Amino acid sequence: MSTMTRHQLPDIRPDAERPTSTPPRLSFSQRLSRFDVKASPYLYIAPFFVLFGLVGLFPLVYTFVVSLNDWDILSGPGDWIGLANYGTELSDPYFWNSLFNTLSIFLLSSIPQIIAAVFIAAILDQNLRAKTFWRMSVLIPYVVTPVAVAIIFSSAFSEKYGLINNILQSFGLDPVMWKTEVLPSHLAIASMVNWRWTGYNALILLAAMQAVPRDIHESAALDGAGSFRRFFSITLPSIRPTMIFVIITATIGGLQIFTEPKLFNPQSANLGGPHREYQTTVLYLWDMAFNRGNFGKASAIAWLLFIIIVAFGLLNFLISRRIASVESAGISTRRARRLAQYRAETDASSAVPTTPDQVPASVEPAAVIAQERRS
Amino acid sequence: MKLSRRTRAVAAVAGAASIALLATACSTNGSSGGSSDEKITLNVTTFGTMGLDDLYKSYEKANPNITIKATNIDTGGNALTDWKTKQAAGSGLPDVQAVEEGWLGQVMQVSDTFTDLSKYGAGDIKDRWVDWKLKQATDKDGRIIGYGTDIGPEGLCYNSKLFAAAGLPSDRDGVASLFGGKDATWDDFFKVGEQYKAATGKAFYDQSGFVWNAMVNQLPAGYYSKDGKIDVTSNDDLKKQWEKLSGGAAAGLSSGQTAWDWGKGKAFTDGSFATFMCPGWMLGVVKGQVETAGGDATSGWDFADVFPGGPANWGGSFLTVPTQSKHPKEAAALAAYLTTAKSQVAAFQAAGTFPSVTEAQSDSGVTGDSYLTKFFNNAPVGKILASRADGVVAQYKGPNDSVIQEQVFGPATQELDKGTDGTTAWNDALTTLKNLDLK
Repeated sequence: MSTMTRHQLPDIRPDAERPTSTPPRLSFSQRLSRFDVKASPYLYIAPFFVLFGLVGLFPLVYTFVVSLNDWDILSGPGDWIGLANYGTELSDPYFWNSLFNTLSIFLLSSIPQIIAAVFIAAILDQNLRAKTFWRMSVLIPYVVTPVAVAIIFSSAFSEKYGLINNILQSFGLDPVMWKTEVLPSHLAIASMVNWRWTGYNALILLAAMQAVPRDIHESAALDGAGSFRRFFSITLPSIRPTMIFVIITATIGGLQIFTEPKLFNPQSANLGGPHREYQTTVLYLWDMAFNRGNFGKASAIAWLLFIIIVAFGLLNFLISRRIASVESAGISTRRARRLAQYRAETDASSAVPTTPDQVPASVEPAAVIAQERRS
Repeated sequence: MKLSRRTRAVAAVAGAASIALLATACSTNGSSGGSSDEKITLNVTTFGTMGLDDLYKSYEKANPNITIKATNIDTGGNALTDWKTKQAAGSGLPDVQAVEEGWLGQVMQVSDTFTDLSKYGAGDIKDRWVDWKLKQATDKDGRIIGYGTDIGPEGLCYNSKLFAAAGLPSDRDGVASLFGGKDATWDDFFKVGEQYKAATGKAFYDQSGFVWNAMVNQLPAGYYSKDGKIDVTSNDDLKKQWEKLSGGAAAGLSSGQTAWDWGKGKAFTDGSFATFMCPGWMLGVVKGQVETAGGDATSGWDFADVFPGGPANWGGSFLTVPTQSKHPKEAAALAAYLTTAKSQVAAFQAAGTFPSVTEAQSDSGVTGDSYLTKFFNNAPVGKILASRADGVVAQYKGPNDSVIQEQVFGPATQELDKGTDGTTAWNDALTTLKNLDLK
């Protein structure tokens, strides 16, 4: 710090303020501290980028190189075949099947999961006794490893001896083919994902809800808004940026589901169902690389998946920007409306001497916090 | 959800592979020549239950300069993934690597990355093994790359209580002659199955996959023709066996169980099925499944000296020495020790793996009583397996044999169990095979 203050004077002034004569010669320590200010921030952030380059960027580029070759896992690189691997994958019915499965499981898991998480968070946001206990309880499924979850659920969803089919049959219903039919298997896998992630998302949303100023709720309650009205008109709009964060992370994760389908049915662990009923893209990729041994095609699949995830990310970004602008527009119209309403009321009664800005001013911090979190 | 970064993991493996490929380019199998006082650590990777643990200890005692670091991987499938990854990376393989018969075809593709054991005395001991086991471990250039451990001759497990309840003979000799004794055919098998079904209304075998596996393994040519090309469409033997199998499934003889799960063993104890395809190593699996479900030796399982369609082999392993090993001489010596007749008898007693060494097969330690004979109603398990091993012919297995078994005919046999007719399931299998575009 001391070096910074010492050298600040000659350096920080804009050109116009500097004396027009030749600038004074800098001493070595001044040069050093100047270098310090300019270069050290980059040094401090360098470890991340070095690591990222090593374990993120290099594999990414290398995978692309592999994908341009006819590359067998055992015999190594063969011929350079350009984009042929991408072509064959794009015309491979199993690739599209895996993509359909991934999207279907993703939708079946993300949508109910986020709705449930919002409501759990809303309940946890109330004045409960033993708050920490309830909050920790919803996080417990997240602590359990996915492998353990998959094994337990796989047993419960077993077709012949599983808990769920036993219950169904005791009510005289037909057993459901959880492991060999498309929709039941997707539901079963989505339920594993939901079980694990709903609580986690609920806690993130709870944190956002707690950032919503209580006085808005209070004043709305005073105005006679019921708890449902307050939830839909105050809580939900205020946590929208956090919702977007949750949705984006759920999308990225949802497109990479692997453990659950891999461990769901031991008889067809590599295929994701006897006829690839629930083979996700990552499972397909793994099978291609390590069972069928085609590293070139597997790398092409990895890149196609990467492109799809980036596309989904961009789509989410655009939608979220739209929602954000709609939101600020919403806030300003609401503000105007409330202001008008407030003025009308004060004109009529002129009883309570409060500042007219109070309501919108208290909305803004929440929006700012949310804005920061989004970026 | 954001579970595993699989894409990256694969990429990282690919990346590591490239670096390692460069690194191995300059590796040689220059060994020290093995002066006896040099301290050497040998890494051994095995899988499943091979029953070698006590043998490591006695080898270390006899050779004080050798330390054995053993890694055992839970299943053969995971061991294959482990081996493939390290093979692709060009580093990390142990000094002694256990290889399963099912993926021998893939190993043979890169047989030059395994040490030719003839350099280290394989020629002197090659009469140990049954001839077809040695032949399996010999590559096309005549190099011996593996020492056989166990083999998997198949006999028939059956539940004597269920057989008796169906009015069928239930003693071992009676069951053997019921299926046709030495000349047992699959037609006999399905005919008895239909009798059983008519008498009890229950399924006869657990699922079609294992039956199909046995049928294919018996044929002179399986999924690959003898010249090493995938040939399923024009293999009439395959199609004929498929028709028999689908006939059995259509008659309700398959219980449609999930293999390797069997309702956590319950299917073995609740009378879901009465027969089961049993290679030697499967006997331990049956015992384990029955015990998991709370059953014991009184559950009625027995083991008959008969197998439909003649002798069949399923599985069995080899010990190999990858050229990555820095101590090929010592590793080869260890592999030779672990496959002596004495060692194989010890392994059989520890894990029920049936010896591939002829001398061990007739050893009283194998033919006598063991925990398995007690479980299987005092069946002379070792003697029966030795008799079942007689006449086995090793079939050529191509590099993608296990992939075809698992991804093409696995789903197709499950279709049969779900009630799909044989022709549709066969055509589905051919479509899958075409889509997979294997070599």
